[in-house]
Amino acid sequence: MTDLVDSFLAALPDDPNIISFDSVTVRYGRVTALEGVSLEIPCGSSTAILGANGAGKSTLLRSVMGWQHLSAGEIRIGDAHPHHARPRLAYVPQRHSVDWDFPITVRGVVEQGRYPSLGIFRRLSANDRGLVDAALDELGIADLAGRQIRMLSGGQQQRVFLARAVAQGGDIFLLDEPFTGLDLFGSEELTHILRGWVAQGRTVLAAVHDLGVARSCFARGILLKTRLVASGPIGDVLSPANIDTAYRGGQHCVHDGHAHGEAAP
Amino acid sequence: MTLHDLLLSPFAYAFMRRALLSAALLGVSGGLIGCVLVLRRLALMGDALSHSLLPGVAAAWYFFGTSTTALFFGGLAAGLLTALGSALLSRLTRVKEDAAFGSLFIVFFAAGIALVSKLPSRVNLTDFLFGNVLGVNPGEIGLAAAVCALTVLVFAVFYRSVLLETFDPVFHRASGGRGGLVHMGFLTLTVLNLVAAMQTMGIVLALGLFLLPAVSAYLWCDRFRSMLLVSVAIAVLSSAVGILVSFHAGLASGASIVLCLGVVFILSALFSPRHGALGALRFGRGRAPSQ
Repeated sequence: MTDLVDSFLAALPDDPNIISFDSVTVRYGRVTALEGVSLEIPCGSSTAILGANGAGKSTLLRSVMGWQHLSAGEIRIGDAHPHHARPRLAYVPQRHSVDWDFPITVRGVVEQGRYPSLGIFRRLSANDRGLVDAALDELGIADLAGRQIRMLSGGQQQRVFLARAVAQGGDIFLLDEPFTGLDLFGSEELTHILRGWVAQGRTVLAAVHDLGVARSCFARGILLKTRLVASGPIGDVLSPANIDTAYRGGQHCVHDGHAHGEAAP
Repeated sequence: MTLHDLLLSPFAYAFMRRALLSAALLGVSGGLIGCVLVLRRLALMGDALSHSLLPGVAAAWYFFGTSTTALFFGGLAAGLLTALGSALLSRLTRVKEDAAFGSLFIVFFAAGIALVSKLPSRVNLTDFLFGNVLGVNPGEIGLAAAVCALTVLVFAVFYRSVLLETFDPVFHRASGGRGGLVHMGFLTLTVLNLVAAMQTMGIVLALGLFLLPAVSAYLWCDRFRSMLLVSVAIAVLSSAVGILVSFHAGLASGASIVLCLGVVFILSALFSPRHGALGALRFGRGRAPSQ
C-alpha cells in the first residue's frame, strides 16, 4: 500500500516549471531561427519574449504551440509533448492579422474557442454556452455579444480575442504582440487583464516589442538573438549589457547571417 | 402577355426545365463557394483558375469527343495543375503566388485557345467560353447534381472548419485543425464546381455565378451563416430570372444570368443600409481602404 502511495507521489509533478526548452534549435532551410535555446518558464508566471525583429520571438511561440518542427532539442509542457498539451494552450493572434469586416459577431468569435473540443459532429452544448457566457462576462463584453466585430473600439476588439482564449479553457496563454496598435488606455487595460490572469494561476507568455511595456507588465523575460541572451526576472534580463547584446550586436558579429534571417512563415 | 406566359410557359420545353435545374443546382453550390472566395480574397485567383480549365477540356474533347466524364476529368486535371503549379512556383522561386497564378493561367488559356483552333470546326469556341445553358444534356445535370450535393455536404459537415479556416487560419491550426487539408480540399471543390458550371455558364462567365451572389450577400449580412444562405438565395433566384430573360429576349444564357446577378450586386452596393455607398455618402462615413 505504501508502495502505491509512494509511486503515486513520485508521479506527481513537483516541478514548478510548466514549459521547458532543452537546447532547442529551429531551422528554416539554411536560416537558423533559434539555436540551442534552453530555458524554463514557471507555472503561473507572466513572461515577455523580447528581441529584435527576426530574433526568433514568433518562432519560439510557434514552437510552444507545437507547430514548428524542431531540428534539435525538446520542448515539454508540464510532462507532455506540445502536441498532447494542446487543450491547455490558448493562442491570441496579432490584431492586424484579423479581417475586421468578416461577417461575424463578438459571440461568434468567442464560440470558436469551444470548437476544438467539439470535434466535427457535436454541436455546442449548454455547458459550452455557459463557458462562452462566462468568458464574455470575464472580459466585460457581454453587452456587445451581438455586435459585428468592426463596430468595436481597439481595446474591445482585443478583449474579444482574449475572451475566445478564455473560452478554450486552457491555463497557458500565448499572445503574439498583444500590445501592438493599442493606445495608452488599451495597453493599461490589457496589463490589468493579464495581471488578473496570473493572479488566478494562469501562465502568460507574450511576444513583446516595447521594452517599457515589458518592464511594467511582465514579471519575467526571455531575451533572444537566435540564441538565448538571457532569461529570468525581467529586471535582470533587461540589463544594459544584455540589451546591448540583443539589439546592437554586442559581442556577436553583426554580419552573423543567422540572426538577420527574418523568420519565414 | 400574361404572367403565365412570362414565367411558366417557357418551362413547357424540356430544354428549359433542364436549364433551370442545372442553373439552380450550380447556384446553390456556387453561392456557398463564392462566400469563401470573397472572404479569403481569392476572387481573382478563382477567375484565373476558371480560365485555366480550357486546355484540359479542349484536350479531352480532342481525344474522347463530347463525353461528359472526359470533359470533367480534363478540366479537373488542368485546374489542379494550375493551382498546384503556382503553389510550387511561389515556394521554390522568387515569384509570389499571385504573379505565379497570373502567369500560369494565361499560358494555360492560350494553350487552350490554340488547341480549340485545331479541333474539328463543328466545335464552337463560344460554347466553351460563354456556355450554352439551353444545350445542357442529362449527363451534365447529373454532374451538376453530384457536385452540388458534395459541396452542400462539405459545408454542412465541416461548417466549423470552413468558418475557422476562412476567418482565422492561424487559430485553426493552433487548435489542431488541418488547415492545409481544408485549403486544398476547398481548391479542389472550387475546381469541381467550375468544371460542372462550364456547360451552363462557360469558362469565362462561370465565376460570375460564384462571386456576384457572395459579394452581394457580403454587403447585407453580419453573420457567416446568413451570408451563406442569402448568397445561395440570390444565386438561385437570379439564375431562374436570367434564364427567363434569355428565353424571352433571345440573349446568351450565361450572360443573361450574370447580368441579373450584376443588377443585384449594384443595387446592394448602392442601397445596403450599413455597408452600401449611399449610406456612406449620406452619413459622411467614407471607409479607410483596408490594409
